[in-house]
Amino acid sequence: MLRISASTVRDRWPLFAGALLTVALGVALVQSSVLVLVSTGEPAIPPGTSGRVAEQIREGYVGAATLLGMATPLAMFLAVFIVGSTFAFSVEQRRTELALLRMLGGSRPQLIRLLLGEAFLLGLAGSAFGILLGVPATWIQARLLIGIGLLPGDFSARWSNGMLLLSPAVGIGVAVFGVLSASYRAARVRPLDALRNAPRATRVMTLGRWLWGVSSLALTVMLVVAGHGADLLGALLVAMAIPVFGSVALSALSPLAVPLVGRLLGTVLRTSALGELAQANLRDAVRRSASTAAPVIVLVGLLVGLTGALNSLARATGADLERSTAADLVVASTGAAAARIPRIPGVALASPQSQVEMSVTARHRVEHRSYRQTHHSGIIAVDGAAYRRTHRLTLRSGSLDALHGRTVAIGPGLVGEGVRDGTVTARIGPHGFTLRTVARLPEVLENGSDNFLVPRDLIPTAMLADAPTETLVQVAPGTSPHAVADRIRAAGIGEVRTLRQWADARVQTQQRGTTGIMAVLMGMSGLYAAIAVINAVVIAAAERRTEFAVARATGLSRSQVVRMAVIESAAVTLIGLLLGTLVAAAALASFYAGPAGVHVLSVPWLLLGLLIMASLAVTAAASALTALTATRPSPTALVAARE
Amino acid sequence: MRAPAAAGPHAGVPAAPVQLYQVSRHYGAGETQVHALADVSVTFPAGSWTAVMGPSGSGKSTLLHCAAGLDRVTAGRVLLAGQDITHATDAELTRLRRRAVGFVFQNFNLIGSLTAEQNVALPLRLAGARPSRRDVQTALADVGLADRGRHRPRELSGGQQQRVAIARAMVTRPSVLFADEPTGALDTGSARTVLRLLRRMVDAAGQTVVMVTHDPVAAASADAVVFLSDGRIADRLLRPSAVQVAERLTRLEG
Repeated sequence: MLRISASTVRDRWPLFAGALLTVALGVALVQSSVLVLVSTGEPAIPPGTSGRVAEQIREGYVGAATLLGMATPLAMFLAVFIVGSTFAFSVEQRRTELALLRMLGGSRPQLIRLLLGEAFLLGLAGSAFGILLGVPATWIQARLLIGIGLLPGDFSARWSNGMLLLSPAVGIGVAVFGVLSASYRAARVRPLDALRNAPRATRVMTLGRWLWGVSSLALTVMLVVAGHGADLLGALLVAMAIPVFGSVALSALSPLAVPLVGRLLGTVLRTSALGELAQANLRDAVRRSASTAAPVIVLVGLLVGLTGALNSLARATGADLERSTAADLVVASTGAAAARIPRIPGVALASPQSQVEMSVTARHRVEHRSYRQTHHSGIIAVDGAAYRRTHRLTLRSGSLDALHGRTVAIGPGLVGEGVRDGTVTARIGPHGFTLRTVARLPEVLENGSDNFLVPRDLIPTAMLADAPTETLVQVAPGTSPHAVADRIRAAGIGEVRTLRQWADARVQTQQRGTTGIMAVLMGMSGLYAAIAVINAVVIAAAERRTEFAVARATGLSRSQVVRMAVIESAAVTLIGLLLGTLVAAAALASFYAGPAGVHVLSVPWLLLGLLIMASLAVTAAASALTALTATRPSPTALVAARE
Repeated sequence: MRAPAAAGPHAGVPAAPVQLYQVSRHYGAGETQVHALADVSVTFPAGSWTAVMGPSGSGKSTLLHCAAGLDRVTAGRVLLAGQDITHATDAELTRLRRRAVGFVFQNFNLIGSLTAEQNVALPLRLAGARPSRRDVQTALADVGLADRGRHRPRELSGGQQQRVAIARAMVTRPSVLFADEPTGALDTGSARTVLRLLRRMVDAAGQTVVMVTHDPVAAASADAVVFLSDGRIADRLLRPSAVQVAERLTRLEG
């Protein structure tokens, strides 16, 4: 069977080219992610680095690993999806050939083996390309993670020979997994189909397709319902799962939507003869239409859904930050300069928050487990009373007014980590001492918020003077914040921002990693979708040569045939865009009501617009080119040809 | 299912590789129902060549499909190579196709990516055997294409492709060879070669052949002709001439 598989792949490579490229790209991405991931396992911390910087480097590595861990499965999902839809379509195209094998004595298991054999070879070839492609991909990925500040500039990923095992396993796995359902469809081809000249009108909505589509849809609906009352984190998780299941559901069920939307478009299309023909073709070739629409659904659903969810999360974090901070201006400066702020005219209250170089060791208790951990970053020296007045927080316990001397408050960053009341040990330079916990702050939405608050009088003056400090400033009633900002700037104290600017910048810094990975993911999925769409259009055009020729013999000019094909593929793309937007809307539904009552939904309109334009352009160009190629020979030659 | 004594011999001892007893095949339901075959009983005797003829839509293709186990019958019984296939499973039918049945098609249906030799070896390989090159070359030599083994189908003429297809069908030494318009896509010269080849197989090796055709000349090469009309057997001819066949056919179509 493998020999027949091999000769089929060799002979019909255009049918497999798209799938091959998909596998190669998938392997390259997984390989580069894993190599970077393995290399981030042991953060290289230069000797002589302070505890705080070292911890920040470590956190960056963890952040990079998290992002890669998110992006890799999504890329795998896309690769399996594209390979699956390519093969499903190719089985349809090869119905006669498969039926012939059945006629010559091939059994059902043999046909399944044939397709799995093809997938194996495809996976092997794709892996070979993928391993080579993975070398530059690793470099690009490392550069990207350095560029967004998660990894230090001297980071480089090491090659591991394990990749020679892992990459082919991934490639073959993706290909075989993608082909499974197509191979079972192939096994259902009846020997009699070899004797029918025209491809028999087969039922598009098979039982398997129904089951697959309906169960995915049910899961999606359940997720939407679950996301309705969820908190922000829940909403985010739901928004990440919905694009996957929703796209699968609507792709499987798209043959139902095609005629429906076709009828809707019909009112527009029917005005011209070409449009009417295109609409009829659309209705007639439901399977072909579904193959073109599926990648567009996934592309739009995934990208718009995920981007919208992440943007909404950022917006919610920003809103939360603004809501909980009672200040007009935020000044970034050194500790020494910050000390001058209260003397500026118009400043009613200044609350300095300085990052200090010290370590705090606390006992964590999480679910019957207890461990000690030393923290170097997120330790902020504050004026307890001023902090309380510039932050609208309901403390979990204690009072910030007691934050004097050898005391500490547990910050929002660690409250969820099981640090309880009691004492912690701290160390500044060579001196160690014990701090008594006087307060515990509530959790906030923001990621990477402060771990510990310590009183300013605990810190040596010289150290405080050098510490990077943010000062929250309230201006006196009746004073213009703008004028006060000018005065602070004129005094040369530091950078002054309004509360909103500060909150936006802070959220953006935290989102930079996600944004970078989203960019990579968008590029990948855009490329995948383009491959899949072009693949579907090109494969379909081959079977339509005769159909086009008949249309021309009936009196259509060549350019009319091309226009008909373009109208048709544009309509199919619109269907895909519509269904994809539906998936994205479902993913974002839980943000609409706004967890905690805040309106945080942020729809990436620009991205949606770009996707619409790009999808329409790619499908129109692909169908125009293939229709031109297919109509090059004289129509009479093709109409007369039997096959 | 009762078989009338007149239609067949004792059950289990078939005298012929293909027997149909009161076979009906309906498509669709209700008002649009089509009776492609209605109560057809026919026996294709061993070592003989029978042509099935009839106007378009007379049911001749359905008859071939039902006899070969490619299509299910609505009522009646089908015996193929001594086995009742009326309710056979897909696996049983697959086994029959491997050892008892060969097919030749109008449009040859060779696999374009395989050479002539590989095409001929394919049924044996599908059946799990390791065909020797000599077997395959002998099969090709029998159809006069010993020197074309390494060629791909697209490098062969239509007549040569059909002969490769016949070699492929015969390589498993089937009990019966089903041919669906085997000369339909060939010029007169190639058609004559193919018909002579089939004749020799019947005369020399006692091969049973069932052939559906439109062509009175092709039908005249057969030992007997069965005429179908509206899904029923309308007429039979033994040792026909092309003129006789054409005349009967015209009468049926009129």
